[in-house]
Amino acid sequence: MTTVAVTEAWAEAPLRQFVEDARVDLALLLHASGQVLGQAGFERRMDVMTACALAAGINATAAELGRMLDGKPFGALHYAGKSKQTFLALVDTRRGAFLLFCVFDERASLGIVQLYFGEFRHRLSAAAPDAEGPSTPLNEHFEGELNRNLAALFGRT
Amino acid sequence: MKNSPFADLLGALVRQRGVTAAMVVSEADGLIVDAQVSIGMRGEVVAALSASLYRRARLAAQAAGYGETTVLQLEAEQGRICAVGKNDLVLVAVTELGSNIGLVRMEMLKGLQGGALG
Repeated sequence: MTTVAVTEAWAEAPLRQFVEDARVDLALLLHASGQVLGQAGFERRMDVMTACALAAGINATAAELGRMLDGKPFGALHYAGKSKQTFLALVDTRRGAFLLFCVFDERASLGIVQLYFGEFRHRLSAAAPDAEGPSTPLNEHFEGELNRNLAALFGRT
Repeated sequence: MKNSPFADLLGALVRQRGVTAAMVVSEADGLIVDAQVSIGMRGEVVAALSASLYRRARLAAQAAGYGETTVLQLEAEQGRICAVGKNDLVLVAVTELGSNIGLVRMEMLKGLQGGALG
């Protein structure tokens, strides 16, 4: 069973359900800024930091590309490698926008991941509490909060 | 607009009594390649789950030493799902219980053997 860890308790059940249903190897739930909210399957905090930074960067790039080409950000991105595939999509909640990034292999499929992502989006939106205040995508406490979140996920300070 | 190469096969299937959906799905991705689906049916969901089911059944049959899967038939309370596959494509038919499943299966296998899936 894949280990799931979150920094905010409300996100745990939806993330755990998604990982179990879609049978993904790795999953990351993060703020669009790149700050981690939850993870499943990662063993090292460095991997989470790297994946968060890359996912946020990919999302920012793809969103801008979508605006240029289609007038609005792309909803989801899928990349199929030789043995692993990735899926990245945005979820809007009362708490703000979050990114779900996951890695899966031949045990799952894009259709299955998309299917359970739809359910995850509903569950996360329903579970999300009201926003604490105005959203500041990259505030002055970003690094400290990032480190605190990583410590919470991996049990180290 | 030009029809897809699967239009005739799907058309022949949905013309059978009690067939509520016929679709060609990518086995690896679980995504619809072409489909004729009744209004109200969540085609993408059926496609993703059917392709996953077919793939697992095919792998299970291979692992058991029984060779290739010919037809997968799922019986549910109010209907059936049938699937045949070839070349990473799965032909899925969703039928009501009152359908003539023999005819549906024959039509699916005819499409498979006739090279409709490549």
